[in-house]
Amino acid sequence: MFVTLAAVEAPEVPASYPAARPSAARRVRRALPPFLYLTPGLGCLAVWTYRPLAEAARLSFYSWNLLPSRPKVPVGLDNYADVLQLPQLRSSLWLTVTIIVCLLPFSVVLPTIVALLTQQVRGRANAVYRALVFAPVLVAPVASAAIWEWLLDPRHGGVDRLLGSPVNWLHERGPAQLAVIVITGWHLLGFAVLVVAAGLAGINDDYAAAAQLDGATRRQIIRWITLPLLSPTLVLLALMTVLLSGQLTFPLIDTLTQGGPGDATTNVYYLLWEYGFKSFNAGLAAAAGLVFFLGFGMVAGCLVWLFEKLSFHDN
Amino acid sequence: MAVSTTAVTAAAAGMPGERRGEGRRPGETDGPVGGGSPLGSFIGHAVLTLLSLACVLPIGWMYATSLRRPSDVYATSPLPWPLSVGNYRHAAEVIPIGPMLFNTFAVAALTALGQLLTGLLAAYAFAAWRFPGQRPLYLLFVGTWLVPFQVTMVPNYTLLLRLGLLNTLAGVVIPTLCTALSVLLLRQHMESFPKELLEAARMDGRSSWSVLWTVVVPNLRPALAALGIVLFINAWNEYFWPAMVLQRANSMIQLGLRGFLGGTEGNDWGGLMAASGLACLPIFALYVLLQRHIVSAFIHSGLK
Repeated sequence: MFVTLAAVEAPEVPASYPAARPSAARRVRRALPPFLYLTPGLGCLAVWTYRPLAEAARLSFYSWNLLPSRPKVPVGLDNYADVLQLPQLRSSLWLTVTIIVCLLPFSVVLPTIVALLTQQVRGRANAVYRALVFAPVLVAPVASAAIWEWLLDPRHGGVDRLLGSPVNWLHERGPAQLAVIVITGWHLLGFAVLVVAAGLAGINDDYAAAAQLDGATRRQIIRWITLPLLSPTLVLLALMTVLLSGQLTFPLIDTLTQGGPGDATTNVYYLLWEYGFKSFNAGLAAAAGLVFFLGFGMVAGCLVWLFEKLSFHDN
Repeated sequence: MAVSTTAVTAAAAGMPGERRGEGRRPGETDGPVGGGSPLGSFIGHAVLTLLSLACVLPIGWMYATSLRRPSDVYATSPLPWPLSVGNYRHAAEVIPIGPMLFNTFAVAALTALGQLLTGLLAAYAFAAWRFPGQRPLYLLFVGTWLVPFQVTMVPNYTLLLRLGLLNTLAGVVIPTLCTALSVLLLRQHMESFPKELLEAARMDGRSSWSVLWTVVVPNLRPALAALGIVLFINAWNEYFWPAMVLQRANSMIQLGLRGFLGGTEGNDWGGLMAASGLACLPIFALYVLLQRHIVSAFIHSGLK
């Protein structure tokens, strides 16, 4: 906190000198600037994030089909009961967890290996590898859907030709799920590599050098020094995977599989979307949205707690 | 990911010493720390080359397909020959690529500028003052990351309808004018700013507004530029919000692409790859020109 402008000093004028005490209006004027600077941003959040959140909370107690002319019918907690009894809920929740777990190799394991390997490789090659691995991060989700739909085309696509086996990737259960995971991983990998590289750069070389003087091998140094010191970064990446997997997979699912075949790739985010707009059941969608907001909030809270605990393991 | 770098640096301040030398195998030799043996270096190169290829090949294949003659689209040669712009011409006939790119550019630039401005003002408030309610207000910004898009979309849609902004580019830009990312990142930069400079400016009796624009902003220029690029790329690639606001599919490039993708029954790959290639091209061009800035901006930006 670099300068503490007026706001703090203002109230500390002794009360025994009434003449020196600034008037209420003056004090308000002195305390005002930070709030004025916050107004545009907070205004945006209030109108476009928190008002809708509150409205969704209200809407979740009504039955409404999104048409402005139709009345909203209060239904109490029925929407919540419906959400928890949705037949697709369990499978979509399970799929969401599966996707998150299957993404961890791409967002945590592989980036760690790559970052450790780039440490071994010296010179410009290092930067070139990183630039190439990063390129998919920049590809727009829709463009990537187009690229992969072409690559996964059952007759002429590059993947089937490379493997020599005709798999109808996007129209079979297992392959479609695998495709969604791998494509998301492809998007995520470059970013995660950068994050791990930044984490590694922050680790002091002296520890490894000291351990080496004591005769530790490179593998031992990685296992007992580098990885423990890197653990906060890795937890942060896991947190990111949990929170962003929905955002990252959603456009792919919408463009490539539309949740199908059957409901093979319908994760909770896609389910929400279908209920919100496709089935015109705004109350149910709002209730589902709030349930997931609270659920992911709790998961995120746990991970943040873990992150802070790990960050303190130094001394 | 500024949070992670600082956390790791802090974690590096101590080390678990009790494991030293455990299981030491005599006769095993190693290169200098981080240097690696020739074998290790070879394996490293091999793995990294494979991985880089796997990452870049899909993109390469897109451009290769798009540059073949329309009659050669199913060819498998890695390099397209003879080159042809036939697919691009075809794509331009199906969707109005020029106006779409222009609209998308305008939306992305306005969004990025707006997010920079709101972020700059809010970050300045958080970094330069102490005031009651500071922490809860800060958490309000961070908390936006927890609110899924699917929860806010219906209420926001109805509000835009009431404001008469549906089907306008303004309706795409206005709801996205503030992002937690720019607040967090700029706050971090401002807090590492030399306080003497600001105090000197304050001694001169300048207002906080003029200090912001004459002292803070000029010194934050690299961070602002890098953040601006990231915000621009995010806005350029954004698809869902524009898809909800604009019913006419041919007003922004991602929507046009989506319409193209849904409209072709799996046989117009040349045109589709040309359109995708064009949709990615401005971002790749930015990346090649400003690679170092973008990479460092992404490192420091953390959660998208």
